[in-house]
Amino acid sequence: MSGVVTGCGVVSAAGDCVADVLAAIRAGTGVRSDVRDRFAEPLPEAEAPAIAGFDVRGLLGRKGTSFLDRATALAMVACGRALADGDLTPDDDNRHRIGVVLGTTTGSLKSTMDFSRETLVQDKPYLVNPVLFPNTVMNCAAGQAAIRYGLRGVNATVAGGPLAFLYALRYALNAIRRGYADALLVGGVEEYTPNTAWAARLTDAGPAGEASAVYLLRRRDAEAAGARAEVLSVATGFAPDSTDAGLAGCARRALAAADVRAADVWALAGDDSDGLSDVVPAAVERLPVRPALGDCQAAAGALAFGALLARHAEEPGAAGRPALVTARSRDGGVAAAVVRGWAGGGDDHR
Amino acid sequence: MHRVVVTGLGPVSGIGIGVDEFTDGLRRGRSAAAPITSFDASGFPHRYAGEVPAFRPAEVLRRLRVEDWGRSALFAAAAARLAVTDARLPLPLADPGRSGAVIGTTSGESTVVEQLVAEAVTGGYPSMSAASLRQAPAERLAYAVSAELGLAGESVTLTTACSASNYAIGYAYDLLHTGEADVMVAGGADSVCRWAHAGFFRLGALTERQCRPFDRDRSGILTGEGGAALVLETLEHARDRGARIYAEVLGHGLNCDAHHMVAPNEDSVAACMRLALDNAGIKPADVDYVSTHGTGTPANDLCEARAIRAVFGDRVPPVSSIKSMLGHTMGAASGFGAIATTLAIRHGFLPPTINWAHPDPELPWIDPVPNVARPATVRVAQNNGFAFGGNNAITIFGAIR
Repeated sequence: MSGVVTGCGVVSAAGDCVADVLAAIRAGTGVRSDVRDRFAEPLPEAEAPAIAGFDVRGLLGRKGTSFLDRATALAMVACGRALADGDLTPDDDNRHRIGVVLGTTTGSLKSTMDFSRETLVQDKPYLVNPVLFPNTVMNCAAGQAAIRYGLRGVNATVAGGPLAFLYALRYALNAIRRGYADALLVGGVEEYTPNTAWAARLTDAGPAGEASAVYLLRRRDAEAAGARAEVLSVATGFAPDSTDAGLAGCARRALAAADVRAADVWALAGDDSDGLSDVVPAAVERLPVRPALGDCQAAAGALAFGALLARHAEEPGAAGRPALVTARSRDGGVAAAVVRGWAGGGDDHR
Repeated sequence: MHRVVVTGLGPVSGIGIGVDEFTDGLRRGRSAAAPITSFDASGFPHRYAGEVPAFRPAEVLRRLRVEDWGRSALFAAAAARLAVTDARLPLPLADPGRSGAVIGTTSGESTVVEQLVAEAVTGGYPSMSAASLRQAPAERLAYAVSAELGLAGESVTLTTACSASNYAIGYAYDLLHTGEADVMVAGGADSVCRWAHAGFFRLGALTERQCRPFDRDRSGILTGEGGAALVLETLEHARDRGARIYAEVLGHGLNCDAHHMVAPNEDSVAACMRLALDNAGIKPADVDYVSTHGTGTPANDLCEARAIRAVFGDRVPPVSSIKSMLGHTMGAASGFGAIATTLAIRHGFLPPTINWAHPDPELPWIDPVPNVARPATVRVAQNNGFAFGGNNAITIFGAIR
């Protein structure tokens, strides 16, 4: 059994819907905003692919939001949008069957480093603010989203950096196939902070980006009608010695599991997919995320997935045709998903 | 659908490294509690933890270069190496793509992040070292296991805090059960760090020297660390290679409190137990032993004991908390619980809850197996794991039939 996507929730530097993400990718120039006044600490750049004007209180209200870190707030907003867009209202009859699966890299690196920093710079090492302690735990965003929307089903956080979204998608697909959940909010989140900005700069991965993109994945039999896309399969692997070959093998396994011929693949979403030229047709349309939106780490795959949904939405000729979303990491992780999108599935309601 | 069995155990803990030492530690009720050595704890009022001072990764690992990985990744990889050695699993496997690793953690590479903090405090963010930054991502815990063992299939780190090992075991079980893999190494790892010690202290959840779960005067957790790994295989794969089988994984259950980031929720914990028992196809009366989450905080143990009462009614099996011996090893905790549960089934004994002195008048239905391991026939056992964020995860193990 596959899962179908019935809702999208996006917060990105390019805009708040998947059509905006696609437009930014197509424009081919980096989306940038002025970040000079955002932090007290110096940044490695004056402009970055960061979200401008994200107003947590305006979006989530004042109650319970003052201690949220940025990654958590971004995830909560995207989860709320995906639920609303998918027209799913959690209630006492269904909330135990609705859950959250989010991808991460290190949780909020800023929250953790700030909290740890207090143990070094305060008069006593224990003079930390206990209210901020949950922010240091990597499942903070998923846990807070569950609290806000009352979701008691499967709640998981999956680490994977650039692979995190595809790992989360595979985890979620398993939970749906096994009958553990009827609907899951699946996504990835990454925040732009001095910590991530410098980390990206110092490891030559930059510039750091930020985004939160979450999709409502449901059992196929539950709501095939309103579906934007169907996730047919996700395959993952670990190939530190030959990532190109590993990714190609992964894509072939995903296609085989989906019962899709490689020659039928019309689009390829995600970064660093060069190694797939032997697998997919040469004319395949490519949707890379990094040139437009920077290094969004755990959100990168979710943005690629969103761009693909938007591309399907605007291209009636592509309805039902299979596409691949792929990801790989410096450490050797590889993953590929086979997705079939349908026209009219955009989320641009403006 | 495939049956799933446990064929290898790899504990790297403060009460023993390797299955023989660890089993002996459980039987004797050994304690890992000792003054903290991995960071300067002199400024803390409470200075004890369950560390693993005897951990020498280079003595265990065969492929990884120790300097390339953080402490938590090394815990995970060493535990995995010990587990496959215990399982006598021939490596490399005939089809490496059908084997993988699922590792749970709370704080990932916390000591690496604390190194970055020290660098940033001294010289600002630009002085953070690239080597530490590259070691910091949490996904490297599972990658360390896959790289050490040459596993080419799924390699995923689940960061669902203190129940993460049970998430990992549950996910690995599903991948085997549904035929996606033949062999999975599952477990968890975490390292003692300043920030967690400070955070738990400020929450009022840290005990001074002894963790005393289910005792009337229990006063909190001891922070702990280590790596726990289990080799899980399909029954066919294990039988085909003539493997010794410790126990069978019968199933698991997951849910979320959606209530509070830190406080446990009795109804939700009970619901998770019912999900796990249903998934395993057993009834409460079938359960001979519960390895509890049992952190030793007043709130957790009360909540957990009441949830057990709600599910098991008048027939509550003996329960114990190995955190009394290990401390709270965070993301590794339910992995150690799974190992202890497996050993209980295999060898016919209940691990004790040590440091226990006074019955809690609020929990008269709890038999915590006080202080001394007890011989018992364990056919089916339940292993609890709960976490910040309301992430509940429970695994169920049974004697092989």
